[in-house]
Amino acid sequence: MRSTDRLRQTAVALIALAALVAAGCGGTATETTDTAASGGEAPAASLDRIEEKGEIVIGVKYDVPPFGFRNPDTGDVEGFDVELGRAIAEDLGVEPRFVEAISDNRIPFLQDGTVDLILSTMTITGERDQEIDFSEPYYIANGRILATKGSDIAGLDDLAGRPVCTVLGSTYADTVEEQAPDADLQLVDTYSECLELIQNGSVEAVVTDDVILTGMIIQDDSLELVGDDLTTEPYGAGLRDGDTEFQKRVNEAIDEYKQDGRWEASYEEWVGQYTGIEQQPPTMTLKEAIKLAP
Amino acid sequence: MSGLWGVLQEHFPELLAGFLVTIRLVAIAFVIAMVVGAVVAALRISPSKWLQRIGGVYVETFRNIPLLVLLFISFAGLRRAGVPITPWIAGTASLGLYTAAYVAEALRSGAFAVGKGQIDAALSLGLSYASALRRIVIPQAFRSVIPTIGSLVIAMIRNSAIVGVSLLALPDLLKEARIIQSRTFETGEVFFWAAIGYLVLTLTATVAFRFLERRFEVRR
Repeated sequence: MRSTDRLRQTAVALIALAALVAAGCGGTATETTDTAASGGEAPAASLDRIEEKGEIVIGVKYDVPPFGFRNPDTGDVEGFDVELGRAIAEDLGVEPRFVEAISDNRIPFLQDGTVDLILSTMTITGERDQEIDFSEPYYIANGRILATKGSDIAGLDDLAGRPVCTVLGSTYADTVEEQAPDADLQLVDTYSECLELIQNGSVEAVVTDDVILTGMIIQDDSLELVGDDLTTEPYGAGLRDGDTEFQKRVNEAIDEYKQDGRWEASYEEWVGQYTGIEQQPPTMTLKEAIKLAP
Repeated sequence: MSGLWGVLQEHFPELLAGFLVTIRLVAIAFVIAMVVGAVVAALRISPSKWLQRIGGVYVETFRNIPLLVLLFISFAGLRRAGVPITPWIAGTASLGLYTAAYVAEALRSGAFAVGKGQIDAALSLGLSYASALRRIVIPQAFRSVIPTIGSLVIAMIRNSAIVGVSLLALPDLLKEARIIQSRTFETGEVFFWAAIGYLVLTLTATVAFRFLERRFEVRR
């Protein structure tokens, strides 16, 4: 009697488990086979797939003002990257859908088909170019150091022995190791965590793109930029490796964006009004960008 | 270098460093968990209702807060409040105090398994409550809780990975693996070796506790 009870209990448990698994995987199973299929086929399928779905999935930052961040009042994501994303979607005749892509997972998301395009303050480097493809540069940022006002950090040399924060998967992990090897590098997941760490005193400096640091200063004016430009960081839109048809279309869209004044308007709205610096749309080519950072 | 063995060869020093940090993290947290767990268990089985309640509050609190939340509170939260807590202290304390709640419950049930009859007998023989605990209850309870403590240690080894992924930025095994992955994109390979690393730790703990179980086995 007891053994049949046990048998029944086990059977019920297994059926419940199977039901849960089916419910959980049922939705995603078809998606994954879709993306797996299109990933393996000719890369041009990316453009077809987007046009077929009527939507383009764009990975952006959710916590990096002024390029990609969630407006706390409206709940919508906005910023320079997001504006460019909308423009590209409009050019392709599809709806944009934005998802969060942090530095650490954006390339895997692109490779596995979770996103079609990355617009998340991503610097063009030769190393990344081996994994994915880039558009022509759409913005040139510079690496800078952020420190609290009144600290004695004035440049790279002062970072020796001090805790410095940057984000896992960003180019600055290497930059700091090369240019300030004696700094105590703390790697975290997002720039908002770096901001938290400098505000609570566990790190004394944050190293990343000047625009990202400007976003932090906007939120906390006890911080300031110090030192010279450390690096030149050309941002490019990320797309799947070998997707040349899609790359061409994206480049055309970006080119028009630069020419017809929308770039300048977006720049002024998101960056210019805070930094007070004038900028022109970048003319650097992809090849030149890769040469900068092989 | 790529491929499974290539990744191991190329990044062995970093993975080893992370492995050692994980061991250190778990070892310190274990000590905290055992000490605090024993104190809380003693509170829980004490004859005073008030002490029992205090122990109860501890257990309920730390069993019901997710470890990750605890980490954020202990590090980000306390630092904002002005307490100069370091990542190491926050990490080991969080992991230790969290596990202590479970250790306390395990010790308490171990003590109960010994049976009230034994305490009564000890007291009637003239032993004080403290002596009864120390010489009669605890040695027997100890034997019966070894397997449970063993599985708590294994849980701690796995939970330590959460510390490495959190804001604390401690360079444990998982963190080192993530750093390597973010540079080389050899995702499957590097996390495979991280998993092996954790497996080595949990299997070692399993073997050690099985040895302890057998060593202290009650010979009836």
